[in-house]
Amino acid sequence: MTHEADASGALSDLRVLDLTHPAGHYAGRLLADLGADVVKVEPVEGDPARHWGPSLPGAPAAEASVFFVLLNANKRGLALDLSDERGRAAFLRLLATADVLLESWTPAEAARLRLTDDVLRETRPDLIHASVTGWGISGPYAEWAYADIAANAMSGVMTLAGFVDGPPEQLPDHQGYHTASINAAAGILAALLHRDATGEGQRVEASMFESLLMAEETAMQQADILGTDRARTGGQGALGFKMPGLGIYETTDGHVYAMCTGNAGSGFPGLVQLMRALEGSTPLDAEPYASFIATAMNTAQITVLMADPARAPQVRDLLAEIETKVVAFFARHPKETLYVRGQELRVLIGAVNGPADILASQQLAARGWWREIDDPIRGHLRYPGFPWALAGTPARLRRPAPLLGEHTDEILAETGLVDEERAALRAAGVIGGAR
Amino acid sequence: MNGRRRALDGLKVLDLTWFGAGPIATRALANMGADVIRIETAKRPDGLRVVGPRPADNPSLNVGGYYNNFNAEKRSITIDLTTERGHELGLDLVRWADVMMTNMTLRAVRQIGMTWETVHAVNPNIVAMYQPMQGLTGPHAEFVGFGAVLSAVCGVNGLAGFEGAPPIGVGTNYPDYVVNPMHGVIALLAAVRHQRKTGQGQLIDMSQLESSLAALSTPVFAEANGSGYPRQGNRVPYAAPHGAYRTSEAGDRADRWLVLACLDESQWQAAARAMSHAEWATDPRFTSLAARKANEDALDALVTAWAAEQHGPTALTALQAAGVPAGLVLRASEILADPHLEARGYYTYLDHPEAGVRAYDGPPVRLSVTPVELRRAAPLLGEHTMEIATDILGLSEDETAVLIAEQVLH
Repeated sequence: MTHEADASGALSDLRVLDLTHPAGHYAGRLLADLGADVVKVEPVEGDPARHWGPSLPGAPAAEASVFFVLLNANKRGLALDLSDERGRAAFLRLLATADVLLESWTPAEAARLRLTDDVLRETRPDLIHASVTGWGISGPYAEWAYADIAANAMSGVMTLAGFVDGPPEQLPDHQGYHTASINAAAGILAALLHRDATGEGQRVEASMFESLLMAEETAMQQADILGTDRARTGGQGALGFKMPGLGIYETTDGHVYAMCTGNAGSGFPGLVQLMRALEGSTPLDAEPYASFIATAMNTAQITVLMADPARAPQVRDLLAEIETKVVAFFARHPKETLYVRGQELRVLIGAVNGPADILASQQLAARGWWREIDDPIRGHLRYPGFPWALAGTPARLRRPAPLLGEHTDEILAETGLVDEERAALRAAGVIGGAR
Repeated sequence: MNGRRRALDGLKVLDLTWFGAGPIATRALANMGADVIRIETAKRPDGLRVVGPRPADNPSLNVGGYYNNFNAEKRSITIDLTTERGHELGLDLVRWADVMMTNMTLRAVRQIGMTWETVHAVNPNIVAMYQPMQGLTGPHAEFVGFGAVLSAVCGVNGLAGFEGAPPIGVGTNYPDYVVNPMHGVIALLAAVRHQRKTGQGQLIDMSQLESSLAALSTPVFAEANGSGYPRQGNRVPYAAPHGAYRTSEAGDRADRWLVLACLDESQWQAAARAMSHAEWATDPRFTSLAARKANEDALDALVTAWAAEQHGPTALTALQAAGVPAGLVLRASEILADPHLEARGYYTYLDHPEAGVRAYDGPPVRLSVTPVELRRAAPLLGEHTMEIATDILGLSEDETAVLIAEQVLH
């Protein structure tokens, strides 16, 4: 049997069948990045995400989806009709060669396909059978339809995002899909360690709903301990007053986020130092600001002062004057200068970047983060790099995302289906893709 | 030992993490069965031990809900690693460990004497993960920040929200809670697998920036290859309607929002019927995805007007019964009481000697044979100092007492 795995990866001895909904595409990608031979099993008409915009310019329509091409790189592709008896039989032959099955079926869908866990295990008793779904495979919502935004809503992350008077906002780029996929991959790794030790397979289950719950930050504990619900604040913290040097500031060319009010890094004095460094001097070195900044300018102390009714009005006025000068300072400089020069002074400050800034990042370039690959259909592609650098078992980008059914023939031949058998399946429309 | 065998039983993890991304990763390992020993110090406690949510008027370092949620089932030993004797004891724990993890800045890692060179020299087979904000190398390796700074730098702020609005972010330090910790767990377990097969450890250089970008990869990949992915509020390029719509307050709580997403034509037709407006599905403005995207403002206006007259939970039930992806924007208290999560036993209630019985987030992933589960509450600061000193470090109780008095074990 030809094994397409990557000898340098930690999972290079494994075969994974990936039948997931788009929610699970990233799980298969992560396992492939670690060296596994991941076979993407699609319906004959193709995965629905093949038609999701936006599109790569110049590629044929069914092969152009940014989302699909990104999250299915490093996989081989097989197109097969599971609802057909012959397709199902071919799938079970393939399953016999697989260590891990990744799917996204609700319990009713698995039953309809007659591919429930017990059936799969008849073919492959030590299978690691993982599912990535919206709501999980048990409980009252198990059959609910899902989309990323629905998990964003139900998991509480959306109620925290947005302006007080505006709508709740979804997280960018499919965080329900990504977090469920990440958690599933972590569970598969743990299950593999158990199988390595005992020979025993098991069921692994991740859902978008539960995967995003940890991202509520402190909201759950606040509800549990204090009995109150956090709500969206439009980027204002929970302090009840505006701390200078904390939050989003406009610059000449965009925004920075500053967090100069705690004990970490160089704190607010570091910000004053940055003002001196970029402008030679700063009005904050004059009184009454200088001594106030030297003695009181962090969130903990200001909170105490603001709780004292005798001092609060004076402190509030002083904070407002300092904030005016901070706002004016940031507005005179470009974000990258504020970020890089500030960080050199250990000021907690970050440029508010978009994808174009990420492309220009010197740090990512210096670390060789990007990966490039020649895709025969889609042209030369530049991929985002991996989430980690494993020195001993490095991840590699080995192949572009498969064309629809690109490896159908090669993979079924590996399972022992001879030419005539494959031709018959193809003629019947049970398998798809190039010969 | 209580309960069933777990997947990581016997794995020894030295935890030099703090705040969010690190501790959540090692908590997942603990809940998979690993013995996770967290070194802390009263001299500079984890910031999350100090902040809320916490019971009013209780300044204890042991009652913060934020810290406790991220540290269930770990053991805590207090060692001041900046003392000479403390550093020696820290290295003894490096020798003990299969895995070490830290998310401290490189400066802090140097201050506690736990660089890769040092760690690898005393335990050549260790898997060690360093998770500074921007990785171990490169011109920005020393940059500092919490999740809020990282959110700006990696693009969460720039990508979230509606075009033209200030880039306020998503209201949390988002990358800290799932993406960075659980990417970390994947790498650690892959390295443990290699370690068990070959005896070889390795260095894992995990930049929180790169990890965060790997989960914001669609817009990054689009930008890098001649496509684009603008800020789009609650929309997506491949589905319509897709958004959040405020429902009626009559018979319901205030500020209730319903989300729905029609990912294909059958879902759109089903949604139109479920909204009692089957005619929308045959309106020429809305008969294909391309048409609905071209007329999305008009479509959203119709759905918005419809939603404003609906009782949110009833509308959700109707949409889901029709097979339409939908949900309600829930608040934390509603989620704690959610019947689905309750049926699945997601939240785990653990008794803690100072904090009492509190809710903890449940397992990030479920394993059927070797369960991922929380068996103990978070440790008190230094709760296990004596047992670790005697059982692992080989100190007598008297020696330990002296080291505590000398503020080495402090």
